[in-house]
Amino acid sequence: MLKILHKELLSYFKDKRAIMLTFLVPIVLITVFALAFGGIGGGSSVNTIPLLVVDEDGTPQSKEIVKNLDSVKMLHIRHTDNDTALDLIRTGKIATALVIHKGYSNAENKIKSIELEYDEAQSQQMGMLQQYLMQTLMNSVAKQMYGGGKFDWRTMMKKFGVNIGTDDSSGTKEFTAVFNKTADSIQKSFGGGGTKGGDRGLKMTSVVKSAQDNVGLVQAVAGTAVMMLLFTLTGMGGRILEEKESGTLKRLLYSPIPPNRILMGKMSASIIVAFCQLMVMLMFASVAFGLHLWSKLPGVIILVTATAFACSGFGAFLAAVVKSREQLQGLSTLIILSMSAIGGSMIPSFIMPAWMQHISPVSINYWSIQGFYDIFWRQLPVTGFAFLEKVFVLIGIGAALSVFSFRLFTKNTLSVA
Amino acid sequence: MIEVKNITKSYGDIHAVKGISFSIKAGECYGLLGPNGAGKSTTINMLSTLFSPDAGEIVLDGKNIKGSIKQLKQELGIVPQEIALYENLTAWENMLFWGSIYGVKGSVLNNKAKELLKWVGLADREKEKIRGYSGGMKRRVNLACALMHSPKILLLDEPTVGVDPQSRNLIFELIQELNRQGMTIIYTTHYMEEAEKLCNRIAIIDSGKIIAQGSLDELKRQSGISDVVFIECTQELDEKMLAEKLKTQVMVNGHSAQIVEDDACKHITRYVVAFEDAGYEISLIDVRKANLEGIFLKLTGKKLRD
Repeated sequence: MLKILHKELLSYFKDKRAIMLTFLVPIVLITVFALAFGGIGGGSSVNTIPLLVVDEDGTPQSKEIVKNLDSVKMLHIRHTDNDTALDLIRTGKIATALVIHKGYSNAENKIKSIELEYDEAQSQQMGMLQQYLMQTLMNSVAKQMYGGGKFDWRTMMKKFGVNIGTDDSSGTKEFTAVFNKTADSIQKSFGGGGTKGGDRGLKMTSVVKSAQDNVGLVQAVAGTAVMMLLFTLTGMGGRILEEKESGTLKRLLYSPIPPNRILMGKMSASIIVAFCQLMVMLMFASVAFGLHLWSKLPGVIILVTATAFACSGFGAFLAAVVKSREQLQGLSTLIILSMSAIGGSMIPSFIMPAWMQHISPVSINYWSIQGFYDIFWRQLPVTGFAFLEKVFVLIGIGAALSVFSFRLFTKNTLSVA
Repeated sequence: MIEVKNITKSYGDIHAVKGISFSIKAGECYGLLGPNGAGKSTTINMLSTLFSPDAGEIVLDGKNIKGSIKQLKQELGIVPQEIALYENLTAWENMLFWGSIYGVKGSVLNNKAKELLKWVGLADREKEKIRGYSGGMKRRVNLACALMHSPKILLLDEPTVGVDPQSRNLIFELIQELNRQGMTIIYTTHYMEEAEKLCNRIAIIDSGKIIAQGSLDELKRQSGISDVVFIECTQELDEKMLAEKLKTQVMVNGHSAQIVEDDACKHITRYVVAFEDAGYEISLIDVRKANLEGIFLKLTGKKLRD
C-alpha cells in the first residue's frame, strides 16, 4: 500500500502546472466569490451606487438637493438630461435616474416634482438606493418646505399655525406632535410610488419593464445556460487530449490537413453543439417556465450564435493550452467559475461591488447575459446598437481566443504528438 | 526513391538523431532496427514531415521534401505505433474518415474501404465499433486505414506491438503482399525476427546513429560474425561472471546464454570449461548461423531490448 501511495504522490507532484492549479483554483475561487457576494448585505468595503441626476428646475433649491445628494458617500452622482438618462436605463447601462422636474421650487408638494426613473430588473439596487435617497431627500425637502433655506423649528411651527410663544419649553410638546406628523407624512411620500403609492409620494417610473418575461426568469435561464455551455465546451480540450493519448491526433498531423484546420474543424463542431445546447435550454425555459422565445427568435438566434462562437473560442483556448487532464480540470474550473461569478451567471452583476462590476465585461458570461436581458427584458430592437454591441463583443472575444489558440495549438500539439 | 542525407534532430540537450543517411529504392522493404530510444521514431517523424530535421535533407524522387510536403504526405501511408483509431466509431466509419482526410471521395472511397476491409479479413465485422475488436483486429484496421488513399510508400512504426503470434503472422503476410505488389515499405521494429523476415535491407540504429546497414548477408559480413551459440543450463546464469570467464561478449536470459563468435564449433570446449568453472551445468548446446540479434550484439555490445 505504501508503494502505491508513494507512486501516486510521485506522479502527482511531477505535473507542476497541475499542482499549482490544485491549490490555486480554490484560493482564487474563494477570493472571487467572497468579493462578489461581498456586495450583498453590506460589509466593510464601500459599494457606491451610481445615480443619474437630471435637474430640470435649475433653481438654487433644486441645486441644493443635488448638492446634498452629491455629499452622500454611497452615491456616485452623474449629471445628464432626461433623454440620455432614459436611454442609459433602457440599454441597461445604469439602473436609476432622479429627475427634479421644472417647477420644483414653486411646488406646494415638492416631493411630487421629483421622479425616480429606474430599471425594474435591478430592483435590489433600487432597495439600497431608496434608503440613501430617503434620508437625503427627507432632510432637504423638509427644510425647504417647512423651514426655508435654513431649518428652524420655530419657523416651521409658525407655518403650521401653531403659536408657541417665546418659551421654548412650552412649545416642545406641540413641536414634537407636529414634527412626528410631518415626518410620517414625508416618510409615506417616499415609501409609496407615484404610480402605485398614492398622490403625495415620490413619483417612481419603471422605464424598463417587460410585459412578457420576468427578470428573475431571464437571469436564471441566461446565467445558467452560459455557464453550463462553458462547462460543455471544456470537453473540447478533453477530446484533444484523448486524441493525443490514443495517437489519432498524431495520425491527423501525418495527413495533408494543416494543424490549424484540425482545430478549426473541432471548433466548428463545438459551435454547432453549443448552438444546439443553448437553443434546447431556451426552448425548455419556454415550455416549462413560459419564456417568450418564439416572438424574439431572430435576436435569440443571433445572440446564441455569437455566444456559441465565443464559448467555442474558449474551448479551443483550453485545447491549445493544456497538456494533461489535471491541467484541464484545474484551469477550466478556475476560469469558468471565475467568469461566471464576475460575469453575473451566479448573482446579477448589478449587486456586486462597483469595482467588480467594472471588471465584469472581461467575461463571456457578462456580454451574453446582458444580450439576453436586451432581448427578453429590455426588449431592445435587434438592429439597435445596444444589442449589436454585445453580439460584436462576443464575436470579438471568440475571434481573439481562436487566433491565440491556433497559434499555440501547432506548437503545443507537435511538442506532445 | 527516398534519400536521407545526414539528418540530425535534437530536443534541447538530447541529440535524438545524429547524422543519419540512407537511401531506399522503389519497391524495397527497408527496415530500421534498433532498441527503444535509438532514434527510430524521430527518424520516422522527420520522414513523415511531422518534424523538420535540424540539419541535413530528405529527398523524394530527386526533390527536397521541404518544398513538396503536401505531395509527400499524399504519397505516404503511415501506420503508427499506437492503434490510432476512433474507438466509438465502427471500422467502416474509421476507414471512410481516414480516407476522406486524404481527399478520397464518393464511390472510390466506399469501394476502397470495402476492398481493404475484405483484404484484412474484417468485412463481416465492418459495422462493429472498434471498441469491441481484439488487439489483432484493431492492428489490421490500423494498417488498412493507412492504405485508403493508395500511397506509394508505406511507413510502419512497430506495427505489431502487443499483438498475438497469429495476428502478427497475418500482418506479416499482408505487408509481404503489399511489397510484392510493388509498394515501397519502411519498417521500424525492435524485433529481430520481423526485420529478418520482412526486409530486403536493414539499417541498425543505436543512440541516434546508423551503425550498419545493408542486406542480412552484408550485415553479417560487416559485423564479421557468422555463428551464434545457444547454451542452456540448469541454473540461473550470471552474465558478468560468464563474460569474464569466456573473455567474449555473452547475452544471458535466465537459464540460457547466447555467444556470437566466428567458427563457434572450434570453441565449444572453451565454452564448456568456462561454464563448468563458473559452476553451471550445461543441458544443451546449439550452434546456429548468425542472425540480427547476434549482429546487433557484436556491433553495439548490448542486447537489442536493453
